[in-house]
Amino acid sequence: MSNQDTRPAIWRSIAEKVDPRRRDRLAQQETGIQVGSLLPENSLVNRRTFLTVTGASAAAVGLNGCIRRPSENILPYTVQPEYAHPGVPLHFATSTTHRGEAVGLLVESHEGRPTKIEGNPQHPANRGRTDAQLQARILDLYDNERSGRVRQGETESTWAEFDAWWREKAGELGDGAGLRVLMPSSDSPSVDRACQAFSTRFPEAVIHTWSPISDENGRSGTSLAFGAPHAPWYQLGGSSAAGPRAKAILAIDCDFLAGERGFLNNARGFAEGRAVRSPDVQMNRLYVAESTLSVTGMNADHRLRISPSQADRFLRAVAAQLAGSDGVRIPPSTAAAVSGANEELPEGWQSWVEHCAADLAANRGRSLVCVGWRQPAHVHALAHALNVALGNVGTTVQYFPEPDRFERHGIGELVEAMSGLDTLLILGGNPVYDAPSDLGFTEALSGVGTTVHLASHLNETSAECGWHLPMAHELESWGDHRSMNGAISIQQPLIAPLRGGRASHELLAMVAGIRAWRGYNLVRNTMRERLGVGRFERRWRAALHSGIVQVPPARPRTPGLRDADVAAALTDNAAPAPNGWEVVFAPSYQTWDGSEGNNPWLQEMPDPVTKLVWGNAAQLSVASAMSLGLITEADLHREEYEGAFPSGWLLNVTTEAGTLSIPALVVPSHADEVLTLPLGFGRTKAGEHGNGVGVDVYPIRSSTTLGFASGVEVRPAGGREVIVQTQDHHSMTATVTWPVDFVVDRPLAIDATLEEYRETPNFAQFREPTPSLSPLWTQVDYSAPRDPAMGGVSYEPFPERRPPREGAPARYKWGMVLDLTTCTGCSACVIACQAENNIAFVGKMEVALGREMHWMRLDRYFVDAQHGGHESNLDDALVALQPVGCQHCEEAPCENVCPVAATTHSAEGLNDMAYNRCIGTRYCQNNCPYKVRRFNFLDWHGEVADMKRMVFNPNVTVRMRGVMEKCSYCVQRIQYARIQARLDTTVDGEEINERRIHSDEVQSACAQACPSGAITFGDLNDTSSEVHRMAHLDRQYSLLASIGTQPRTVYLGKIRNPNPEMV
Amino acid sequence: MGWNKPIHDLNERHLVSEGTSFSEVTDIVAGVTERKAPRLWWILFAISTSTTGVLGATIGYLLWTGVGIWGNNSPVAWAWDITNFVWWIGIGHAGTLISAVLYLFRQYWRTAINRFSEAMTIFAVICALMFPTIHAGRPWFLYFSLPIPNQMNMWPNFKSPLLWDVFAVSTYFTVSLLFWYVGLVPDFATLRDRAKNKIRKWIYGFAALGWRGSNRHWSNYERSYLILAALSTPLVLSVHSVVSFDFATSVEPGWHTTIFPPYFVAGAVFSGFAMVMTLLLIARTVYGLHDVVRIKHLELMNKIMLTTGSIVGYAYAMEFFIAWYSGNPYERFVFINRAMGDYWWAYWSMITCNVISPQFFWFKKMRTSIPAMFAISIVINIGMWFERFVIIVTSLHHDYLPSAWGNFSPTLFDILIFAGSLGLFFTAFLLFLRWFPMIAIAEVKMVMPQADPHWGHDDHHVDQDDVMTAEPALAEE
Repeated sequence: MSNQDTRPAIWRSIAEKVDPRRRDRLAQQETGIQVGSLLPENSLVNRRTFLTVTGASAAAVGLNGCIRRPSENILPYTVQPEYAHPGVPLHFATSTTHRGEAVGLLVESHEGRPTKIEGNPQHPANRGRTDAQLQARILDLYDNERSGRVRQGETESTWAEFDAWWREKAGELGDGAGLRVLMPSSDSPSVDRACQAFSTRFPEAVIHTWSPISDENGRSGTSLAFGAPHAPWYQLGGSSAAGPRAKAILAIDCDFLAGERGFLNNARGFAEGRAVRSPDVQMNRLYVAESTLSVTGMNADHRLRISPSQADRFLRAVAAQLAGSDGVRIPPSTAAAVSGANEELPEGWQSWVEHCAADLAANRGRSLVCVGWRQPAHVHALAHALNVALGNVGTTVQYFPEPDRFERHGIGELVEAMSGLDTLLILGGNPVYDAPSDLGFTEALSGVGTTVHLASHLNETSAECGWHLPMAHELESWGDHRSMNGAISIQQPLIAPLRGGRASHELLAMVAGIRAWRGYNLVRNTMRERLGVGRFERRWRAALHSGIVQVPPARPRTPGLRDADVAAALTDNAAPAPNGWEVVFAPSYQTWDGSEGNNPWLQEMPDPVTKLVWGNAAQLSVASAMSLGLITEADLHREEYEGAFPSGWLLNVTTEAGTLSIPALVVPSHADEVLTLPLGFGRTKAGEHGNGVGVDVYPIRSSTTLGFASGVEVRPAGGREVIVQTQDHHSMTATVTWPVDFVVDRPLAIDATLEEYRETPNFAQFREPTPSLSPLWTQVDYSAPRDPAMGGVSYEPFPERRPPREGAPARYKWGMVLDLTTCTGCSACVIACQAENNIAFVGKMEVALGREMHWMRLDRYFVDAQHGGHESNLDDALVALQPVGCQHCEEAPCENVCPVAATTHSAEGLNDMAYNRCIGTRYCQNNCPYKVRRFNFLDWHGEVADMKRMVFNPNVTVRMRGVMEKCSYCVQRIQYARIQARLDTTVDGEEINERRIHSDEVQSACAQACPSGAITFGDLNDTSSEVHRMAHLDRQYSLLASIGTQPRTVYLGKIRNPNPEMV
Repeated sequence: MGWNKPIHDLNERHLVSEGTSFSEVTDIVAGVTERKAPRLWWILFAISTSTTGVLGATIGYLLWTGVGIWGNNSPVAWAWDITNFVWWIGIGHAGTLISAVLYLFRQYWRTAINRFSEAMTIFAVICALMFPTIHAGRPWFLYFSLPIPNQMNMWPNFKSPLLWDVFAVSTYFTVSLLFWYVGLVPDFATLRDRAKNKIRKWIYGFAALGWRGSNRHWSNYERSYLILAALSTPLVLSVHSVVSFDFATSVEPGWHTTIFPPYFVAGAVFSGFAMVMTLLLIARTVYGLHDVVRIKHLELMNKIMLTTGSIVGYAYAMEFFIAWYSGNPYERFVFINRAMGDYWWAYWSMITCNVISPQFFWFKKMRTSIPAMFAISIVINIGMWFERFVIIVTSLHHDYLPSAWGNFSPTLFDILIFAGSLGLFFTAFLLFLRWFPMIAIAEVKMVMPQADPHWGHDDHHVDQDDVMTAEPALAEE
């Protein structure tokens, strides 16, 4: 927080009041070290900031210990900050917005330095869960390329100068006729308040909103169906004796598990509906009709490949089919509008539509129809009508009214008004990069008198604007957020702005003339309006503490369906006929819309579906690739031996908005004649990690084709480009057809249908039985009393010689259970692990060599729909997902072969890795059948800039080159819990009573992040623990158990729930 | 059995050209170290020292940057580094086999080539030892793998085959070096006695350890030589068996095989003889050693190559049989993938070089043709390198989990280090040729007709006191 730009609220002399900068000048003249000069902005700091920075620097200096360097002095606290115990992390509740939805966070802070983002279990939107992008945001905080200076054109300026300029400008602007604001859509009550103030201050000014991926169609859809915008809040889980709330789910072009608004809530509910603990449990069934294979599509029980334009026709067919079903009362006009739509359907649709509709009708009140953001408003409206007709409103879907959010003006309107406009404020966002290309935003921008851009980086838009203002990170600024279900949460900063920026709502409030525009005051005043003045302070503190504002919860509405409007919209917008090639503009699972472009963790995270890293590629189906002449029939068979399926041919894609050239990637189960173009790549001013990575597809995305475009021309451009995947298109079976014909059955991600499971609950054991051979040497008894070495009661130097204490409790037996039924493959665990364990990223070419460092990887296999059949089905292949980290084998092959005993078994069954002892023979990596060990082939971290170094978890060694590393089951978290438990030890004479670690006290980073709760971690010796219960379910098995490694990690076989009528 | 009979009685040919005298043998061998080096020596030396320089620079860069400069990755964590290690160790096998095993079996023809092949062993083992050293991620901590008492009470892991390797290879190196040196002592004394200048006299005198050729010296010499031969013989089998344990004791399909120890030993002898052959043919031509190293010797070596090459071929076939017979799908896949997968070319190069090429030695014409055996010996050296590459890389690159599969391709630094190791080897070897008696003078003399107690007379009396005929195997008389 910089003071240079502050008009002092309290002044001491007339001189100071007249010239606020005088104080700064005086301060600059003081002798001694200017703390301000340490900061990027040459700004002075207050006491708190100083202490925070000092603490953070001290921690950073401490980190230097990991690297061999000359000793440096650490400044001690002269005044100990409250609650700060060196070495003991603090957790603060905060919140942020993610994909249009507020999420609650708990952020871990070490000596004033936030190091890890976790979910806030009390927040209703995510219940403690996070995804990969949320996990990776901590890295953005310490991105040293974040802009730290105000700039006016090419010259450096200061906030004070900007404020002075604005005061003058605001006077000139009068009622704001020449003023417009462009900002991303927001869910913040304070932003709403600032917008209101802005409209009051500048009645003629207009606020425009633009987000490249927005829920605008969904809002329009609810407006159409119910007369006012509503947020559909899905309640899929909540299992009872009768099964989950939602038993049949139809998702049309809707990635509700990993991309749509509120997906964290959906993923949790969906997983609850698949938490199969015993064969008699009911389970939900997911029907997906989509073009691009998405995370949701990978989890489908039935998946129909349709092109995006045909989603409309498809939903009408389902509606028409439902209209004829018993007990489904589709409102008359709507029913009339869709009647006959289920006739003369394309190949493969007929039986799908019939059975799907029958299943939905049979599960009235327990079903759900949802449509994705890409589809036009009337398709959304029809889905809402179907949910109403199926009686799902109030059970599986709740509608919460959405407040008017000043989103009536779009970017198109702005571009029209830009010519001759006096002043344009762009608060966040990057429209030069991501605005629809047909608008000519960049050219129009030069017609604006003065442009001001607030952004975290000097990005593509900043380069085109007059003023550039640095934006504060969300962990550096105050704010507030509203969830879809109306819950309000506070965003509280964990650190003063490292680069001295301001939040967008602060700037908006300042511009609007709100005197208390500082984030803290702004948010407090907003909350004061909501919480009331009485007992405000207590309630404010409670809200900060728990991360959620305790106001009477918003009630879901049961809005009345406007049958006539829906029917009219359906009639007006006839379902389009197929029209040649189509392109789908899909947000990337890595960089989303491009805003995460400079985050190397995300760039290197394998795409959950394609496993592509550091770039994007146009995805297309096998048949389409053949029709373009990219591959031949022979290539399909070549794949069986060769590592890489041919990919990377350049395609020329021409839409009405333009042409671009992009490498292609064949994805099984992709819709034919459809090209999926992931957004968010090809940045030119993202920073060192994002520049020039992948291809920017925004140039062919126009304002009418934000979701998809039809009638596209696709031609091979000749030539190929290197695209890098961490896994290729291997099926699990690796069939060999020549010279001998045999199928290598690899029971790795074992699956079964619900019916098969009911017949044979331990089906997984049949495919990969746990061997009953007698072991070579005495097995460790983990139920035996704890190793006294841990008790610390003996001075015997050899721990193994100390006799256990009389009546000592059993030791811990740490274990992990991975439920393949609920794992959606979203890869949150991969990044959570990376953030927790200081895992290095290695860059595109090193990944191409096979040197990625992820301790947890997500294996994705395609499974032929017909089990055991030789016919390879590339179009309707099912997907099996399997997270694989270290299995912590009891008979670990890695441990035996290490010549220096750098990897050994702990007394609690962990396969420990002593980095200091490792000499790097890599024998353990060769002998690991799971290939989970990662080697520091080079010095991956290199010289880490001081600011970037702050992200490191101080409890985990930063590995040097030449050593092996791998999943440790987050041993540092176990040790932390042990310390906490030991602090509660009581000694009563000879009796030493040490509290046991509770099973919910330790969670590995992956288990904590997993949105669907597919990972369970804990003490297997604790029979009351969740992990013990899960590890003993009937569908448990160990990966490659036949080798005899006795893995500690247990997998639960995947249960699919196909419709028996459709098999 | 007629091992105690004079050569001409057995219708054997002389091991040294007839009419060669003791002094001629001494002149041939010792003269090499006394005359100026031939031009070809200088050319070869210039090439190999500069290659060694490249090796040094590359290792410097490797230590500075890390093993990531190679193409190794996950899943192929070992590649050319360990391939080269096993290849060099294998080459080192011929020396001990020739010097120890053939000595114990009284195969006198070995005397012409034993010094030479022992030297080759020493240098090959030096090259081999370099690879595990530099392939480690942190070679400066390699001493962790030695059982040195320390304050941490931390010992190496005696279960690890890599540790067995450390012991096996270092023992092998030590014993080979001693064996070589003991054999050199009488010849150093010869060089000392022939020396014309003081420095030469001093250095060779120092190396000769005061050898005076007394009866007691000879008696001790013979005994120690016999003991060292007996010590080395099991090492011939143990070293490569232990090296094969690196693979055989693992759980990787394609590695986890009981056939590995004998198969590796046979392969090692095979490659070792091929390398001796290559070097010998060059040295024989350059230094004109035709009288001492005769076609007879070369033919016998070719027979050994034919035998061991066939054993190796049998092992290749047996691996496939076992992969099928075991019913283990992972194992089956690895072997089919080996022959038909990404690295099919390496596999079929190996088969062509190692199994097919030695079969030419069934024909006497090929066995005795110098160009043919030179070409085949080089082909076998290449094939044996491919064998190690095939075992290591094709097993690792597609093992259990298809998600973790990957491929390996070498980088420039892989190639430079391998080429550099050849440079190091040849530099050492050329220096040996220049300054050491490359043929065991004393031993060759022992097998010459002049050394026969009956030389010059025809009576067939048997002298029970003769050391060489002390065995009572006289039944046939």
